[in-house]
Amino acid sequence: MTGTIIRRLLSMVPVMAIVAVCVFLLLHLAPGDPAAIIAGDNVTAENIALIRAKLGLDQPVWKQFIVWVWAMLHGDFGTSMFWGDPVLTLIGQRAAPTLSLAFTTLVVAVTLSIGMGVLAAARVGTWIDRVVMGISVAGFSVPVFVVGYLMVFVFAHKLHWLPVQGYRPLSEGVLPWLRNLTMPSIALGLAYVALIARITRTTMLEVLAEDYMRTARAKGVAAAPMLLKHALKNAAVPIATVVGTGVALLIGGVVITETVFNIPGIGRLVVDAIARRDYPIIQGVIMISSGVYVLVNLLVDLSYTLFDPRVRG
Amino acid sequence: MKTTRRSIMAGGIAVAATAAIPNIAKAQAKPPASRTIRAVLHGDIPTYDPIWTTANMSAYHGGMIYDTLFGVDEQDVPHPQMVEKFGVSDDKKTWTFELRDGLKWHDGTDVTTADIVPSIRRWAARDGAGQLMMQRTKDISAKDAKTFSIVLNEPFGLLPYALGKTVTPGGFMMRKREAEIDPMQKIDKVVGSGPFVFNEGETKPGNQYVYDKNMAYVPRKEPPSGIAGGKIVKVDRVIYMNVPDAQTAVSAVQAGEIDFYETPPVDMLDQFKDDPDVVVETLNNLGNVGWIRLNFLYPPFDNVKVRQAMLYLSKQSDMLRPTFGDGKNWRECGSFFACGSAMENDANEGWFKGGQNVAKAKQLLKEGGYNGEEVVLLQATNIAYMMNSATVLAQEMRNAGMKVRVEPMDWSQVVQRRASKAKPSEGGWNIFITSAGGGGMGNPFTNSGMGANGDKGWFGWPSNDKHEQLRQAWINADTVPERKKIAAEIQANAWDFVPHIYFGQWVQPTIHRKNVTGWLHVAEIIPFWNVQKT
Repeated sequence: MTGTIIRRLLSMVPVMAIVAVCVFLLLHLAPGDPAAIIAGDNVTAENIALIRAKLGLDQPVWKQFIVWVWAMLHGDFGTSMFWGDPVLTLIGQRAAPTLSLAFTTLVVAVTLSIGMGVLAAARVGTWIDRVVMGISVAGFSVPVFVVGYLMVFVFAHKLHWLPVQGYRPLSEGVLPWLRNLTMPSIALGLAYVALIARITRTTMLEVLAEDYMRTARAKGVAAAPMLLKHALKNAAVPIATVVGTGVALLIGGVVITETVFNIPGIGRLVVDAIARRDYPIIQGVIMISSGVYVLVNLLVDLSYTLFDPRVRG
Repeated sequence: MKTTRRSIMAGGIAVAATAAIPNIAKAQAKPPASRTIRAVLHGDIPTYDPIWTTANMSAYHGGMIYDTLFGVDEQDVPHPQMVEKFGVSDDKKTWTFELRDGLKWHDGTDVTTADIVPSIRRWAARDGAGQLMMQRTKDISAKDAKTFSIVLNEPFGLLPYALGKTVTPGGFMMRKREAEIDPMQKIDKVVGSGPFVFNEGETKPGNQYVYDKNMAYVPRKEPPSGIAGGKIVKVDRVIYMNVPDAQTAVSAVQAGEIDFYETPPVDMLDQFKDDPDVVVETLNNLGNVGWIRLNFLYPPFDNVKVRQAMLYLSKQSDMLRPTFGDGKNWRECGSFFACGSAMENDANEGWFKGGQNVAKAKQLLKEGGYNGEEVVLLQATNIAYMMNSATVLAQEMRNAGMKVRVEPMDWSQVVQRRASKAKPSEGGWNIFITSAGGGGMGNPFTNSGMGANGDKGWFGWPSNDKHEQLRQAWINADTVPERKKIAAEIQANAWDFVPHIYFGQWVQPTIHRKNVTGWLHVAEIIPFWNVQKT
């Protein structure tokens, strides 16, 4: 097992190297000039050139790349071209809201969807199955921002139960933290509920058709233990895979949700950085989120050993 | 010692409580909501140095924490602000200024002329008006800790106005330490002497910027007007919140989570008609001027007849209505200087008074020898008015027989591309659309784009010697009536050689909670002194 983990961790090196090259080239070859944005409107082309030189953007791209990689290998992800703060500090400030949103979304999504998927599989062909699948289709089809605005209208505007926007850190109390995250988590989680519920239903149906399940039924095992202890555990590997890949989707979804609910997370940080071509922030966020994505995949792979003893062998 | 579940829980609670102490202390130090204004402005603050960048939001930030030597009032007239008294020699070439008492930096040290002299130099290196001033300046020097002088080669009556203008970059005074940093590099410490102190500890870049009342600030005695007069702070804290989504910001104002929103979309304003808690108010009465820049370097706009054709083929209302709706918040304007400004006039406005005239445009295109060259129009698709007006303008040009290629991109790409002097077919451009504050467009002096000095000028690089001579004459004029007369001459000449064209003028109503009052009407920035929350 330890050998597998080390091998997988080592395999991250070329992956991250490729990500670094792609991110850097994409950003630097794409149009847009941070110096021109910094300089603002009332400016001459000469002033823009001077600012570009001060930022080191007049250097050849390969040279800029080497400087960036070398610094990164020493733990320095650079500083924002605009605010002057270290990229890691800015990401650190934004990590808690994004991680909180991701965590609560996954909790909402996984608890709701697995229950719904199991229920739909157990009652396949009935109205319950159709209602669950209907909710799944709706969850997939309705964009996050539509759900978000509707929830704001109902729960913030009309009922005054929840705040319209913003984020309160956990240190201010669990209740304020949850109040601010409730609507964003549900809005963002709906798509994952749909995704995971459908895959749970499908895999559960496959497992339920297996001979050993028929044997269990014949031996008189009650419905609940049969579904949860025997069927769900055997169906868990594909579900875990989908939850893992869902984390990648979550990164994309977080951007919109953070905008609609004004949550100061990493998604907002990177969108703002893209708009003004703040290269160090964009590069830093993409490198770190790529690393997180690779690690999540590793954790998902390792989780297979919990569900399926054959993998351990 | 026996480890029990209870002891582990008690330990956990103790650790959590210890970790929370700094936050609890921080929370207790926060002013109450009744003494805090939460404001959403038109964008995010890109950088804290309002000289290094000319981005408007940095000027908003600068206006909070830095003071200026002069301040212009609501009528655009400069008055002393940090300056107590000033005088000019008989030959109008030597200006002497004395700082007022009680000026202190936020670090507690006194403001002296050792700070002011390099601050003026740093500002002047980046500002169009400042550069013009420096062209006429022989020396800037400190006489003593409170007195300094500016010695000119030739008279420059607009000196107080230049030092006090609010159009970015404003003449913000900084400590000697920051003022001596290369103006092409940003400052590394934010220490001003203005009415608010920047609270870096509570600030989260890109999310919220916190400004606390400067308890040591000594305001002027005169009543506030624009940037002039006493800057009396009536709240403990102002928080600039960066809320990128308009719908969210509007909802938050309605819910009372935000006190002020600078740029609510005009199509959302009607919903506040019956809202007893929200007030719609226009603070910047000059608003913005829609601006179409033409590239003088390449055909077809190197030809004056083709440029004149642009005046006749475009219709301002068609370009404004898609973005700003009915005519409540915008107007057509034929003046070369912003409508509503002191220099507004109607010289040589035949093209405007006659309305859109496509036949005349076609005739001018023919006279200009336009032979179907493709016109490259840069369209910023992430800013609604730019996208909409570019779409309409392209169609109007096509209606007049011009061949137009609209190149969609985001604003940051337009900003990069407009600096290119390459041929339009090789990465250059023929037209881009932008806007500028009515304050800056109300005279030929403060906005670099009002010049026509060719290669040295603003993007589009218009060139016209008579225009430049008249601008200098306007700057040298001693009285407002003289300036108005010259402004009419500038306009008469401008609508002949057409340095650029406009597509009207609009104001941006703000919304704020009814219990937040005392807003000052200023072009270009939003002051938060004098504002109170009841």
